[in-house]
Parts: sequence; structure tokens; C-alpha cells
Amino acid sequence: MDIIKTKDLVFEDFIRYPDIYIKKGKVVFLVGSSGSGKSTLLKLFNATLSPSSGTIFYEGKNIDEIDTLKLRQEVLLVGQSVYLFDGSIKDNFNRFYSYREMNMPNEEEIKYFLSICQLDFPLETQTSILSGGEAQRLYTAIFLSFLPKVIMLDEPTSALDTQNAKSLLRDIIKLAKTRDMTVIVVSHDKNLSEEFAEDIIDIEGSKTI
Amino acid sequence: MTNSGIVKLSIFQFSLIYLLLIVVLAIMKKANVNQTKLLIVASLRMTVQLTLAGFVLTYIFENPSPLFTSIYLIAMTLFAIHRALSKNKWLNKSFKWATALSLAGSGLLILAFFVIVVVRVDFFNPQYTIPLSGMIMGNAMTGVNLGLKSFKDNFSSQRKRVETLLNLGVKPKKILLPFSQNALETALLPTLNNMVGMGIISLPGMMTGQILSGTPPTTAILYQIAIMIAIATVVCLATFSTLNLGIRTLYNDKNQIEFSYEN
Repeated sequence: MDIIKTKDLVFEDFIRYPDIYIKKGKVVFLVGSSGSGKSTLLKLFNATLSPSSGTIFYEGKNIDEIDTLKLRQEVLLVGQSVYLFDGSIKDNFNRFYSYREMNMPNEEEIKYFLSICQLDFPLETQTSILSGGEAQRLYTAIFLSFLPKVIMLDEPTSALDTQNAKSLLRDIIKLAKTRDMTVIVVSHDKNLSEEFAEDIIDIEGSKTI
Repeated sequence: MTNSGIVKLSIFQFSLIYLLLIVVLAIMKKANVNQTKLLIVASLRMTVQLTLAGFVLTYIFENPSPLFTSIYLIAMTLFAIHRALSKNKWLNKSFKWATALSLAGSGLLILAFFVIVVVRVDFFNPQYTIPLSGMIMGNAMTGVNLGLKSFKDNFSSQRKRVETLLNLGVKPKKILLPFSQNALETALLPTLNNMVGMGIISLPGMMTGQILSGTPPTTAILYQIAIMIAIATVVCLATFSTLNLGIRTLYNDKNQIEFSYEN
């Protein structure tokens, strides 16, 4: 079953996407040269941007008819704009969960999500001392801990070497498989798509008008 | 000289004060501050503008009429709105309306309370309404300006935070609220700090003016305290209202936040 599909999708009259079908529970890589609209497509999927024409379906329903907040919580985008609050790792979980009006996970659970993202830090570690790559992985861990139905990762490994990048994705996918979570990845790294992709969607077919 | 009398300045006496500007000019020249032109223009402008204001006010006071007072009030309100909007060009159209309505509404409300409820004179009595409205509107404008600037600076510099929370499915209002709370605090602080130092470091302008013109200091302080509280209230009310109405214009019913104005 397609969890997300698109029809005649056009963004701001200059990116025309081919019709896209994303199967539930799969690991899907979006590829295409820079400027082809990969990140934009993810923002269209979670309705933080609107297409100028065309339709996106989530679980068979036109996303225009879905409450956008609920959609974003289920189709969770881990964007490239990494933001962490000042304070410790634990404080960050606390802040993000209070924004979502949810109880924060317990320490064991937090450690579990950190380990998936290849982080082995005490929870009291201040985020200000983390390197760019570490901050990005913590950011991913926080998003992942919300256990969405679809997780969209926009260049999740841009600050990592190949070895770390592979471990990170392997563990995320392992978690996703136990939860029937769909994983959509935008990455320039061919090594990753070759190793992990169950489906590769080339949006290069999209025409720039 | 009696207590209640005021020394009427003759033109000759008055012009002596301009001699002080020679001191400023001399220091500027010595210290290589190249603002002599501005000093002269500023002094001239001030003289001309205040002279005109003096004539206009004299005319209005001698011919009190609700019409003149109203025109003066409207002109002052429009000027305050114009200043606030021209300093915040990033505002979208609805945000501009929110700013204009908040400034006018809060200013007139506090002014009416001061004149009608506290002083208990006719609202259109120019002697009270005109100078008080100037102080209230002017401070409201400064507060709103400060609030808007602080909001924009924070909001622009924390775009990643906004995007992150949007992606997490947080309500835009909830995302924006901390920015407006912060901005309100920034807008209020100068007025509050001013109140803290008042009477120790300086005698405030309005009180000084009243005392110079013969009002007993005890009456003058009552007016000064009253106007300070009125100013703190109008700054708070106008800024709160501007930001709270304004942030609603930054997102749409799809919970998308408009970033495009940022430049």
C-alpha cells in the first residue's frame, strides 16, 4: 500500500514533480541533483509548504483534508535546520516534549534513542559542547523518539564520515522495521542509497520549466 | 518675585541661551566631531517647529473647540502610527493594521481615563488633552517600536527553532508566543527602569516644567506619578495588543508560517 503518493505536483510553477509512490514500511531514497526540489518535496509532504497545483495523498487521503498539525506529527520531517535549546540533552527532550504537550520518555528510553543515533553521552551533557555532527544526531534522536509513522530525513549524515553515516542509518532502519515505520531519506551519498535503499525515486525526471 | 510667578523670558534673555551652542561648536571642532551641520540644522529645526507649535497651541487655547482638539489628537495619532510603521517595513498588511489599531486604541483609552476619570475635566479641554496625549502617544509609539524590533530580531535569528517546532507539529501560536513575550519585556524595561531612577537622578521633564511655571511641587509630583503610570500602562497595552494581534497574521489556516518578508 502507498502511504504517500502524489499527482501532478507542481511547486511555484518551476518544479514539476513526476508522480511519486511511497510504500508503507519501506526505506525510500529520494535522489536528484541539487536544486531539483528534494527538500522542498519533504516540506510539501508535511504541509509546511503548499504546492501551487497537484495533490498529495497520505494514507489515501488528500492532505488538504487532514489537520496539518496531526499530519506533521505522523509524517515527521527531520530537516536540515538543526536547532537545540540551551541546556542539557535531557533538558532538550523536556523542552521538545512540552512543546508537543507530551510526557517525556524516561532516561532508559532516551538513552536507547541516543544509542540508535550513535551517541554515548551522559544525559546531563550540555548541548553547547556538542560538535556539529553530534548536534545533528541528537536532533535526529529527539525526532525519532516521537516514533512517527513516517520519518523523513533530509541529509541526515551530512556532517558524518561514511562509517558513522552507515551505522546511523542501519540502526534507524532497524528501529523502523520493528515499528513498521516508513523511512524517506534525501542524501547525496550514493554509498548509502546503494546499501540501504529498498526503493529509489529519482525526481530528476521532474522538469524545471 | 512671588512664589507662583514665573519669570517671563524676554526675547533678548531667551536668545542668550543660544550662546551655549558656541560651547558645543567649539568642543566639536576641537574633538573633530563632524556634526556641526547637524547641530545647526537641529537647533534651527527645533526652534522653528516649537515656535509653530507655540502659535498653534496659543490659538487652540484661546479658541477652545472640540474640533481643534480632535484634529490635533487625530494628527498626533496618525503621526505616531506613521512613525511606527515606517520603522518596521517588514510588517505585512494585516500586521500593520494590528499595529495601527493597537496604538490608536490603547493611546486613546489611557488618555481618556487620565483626562476624564482622574483629572476630571472635559475630554476636549485642550490644556490637558493635548500635552497629555503627546506624552502618552509618544511613549506608546516608542514602546511598540521597540517591541516590534525585538520581535523581528529574535524571530529572524531563530528561524531554525521555528522551522524545527513547525516540523514537530507544534501550533504556530505556541511557537511564536515566546518571541512576543520576550519582545513585550524588552519594550517595557526602559519605562520601568526610568521609574526606578525617577526623582533621584533627575527631576522628570513634565514635573520640571510645571514647577518652573509656578505649580507647587506637591501637585507637580502627583501629575508626574500619574503620567508615569499612564505611560507604563499604555506601553504595556499597546505593545501587548500589537504583538498578540500581529502574530496571528504570520500564519495561515494550514499552520504555515510566512517567512518571506524577512530581508
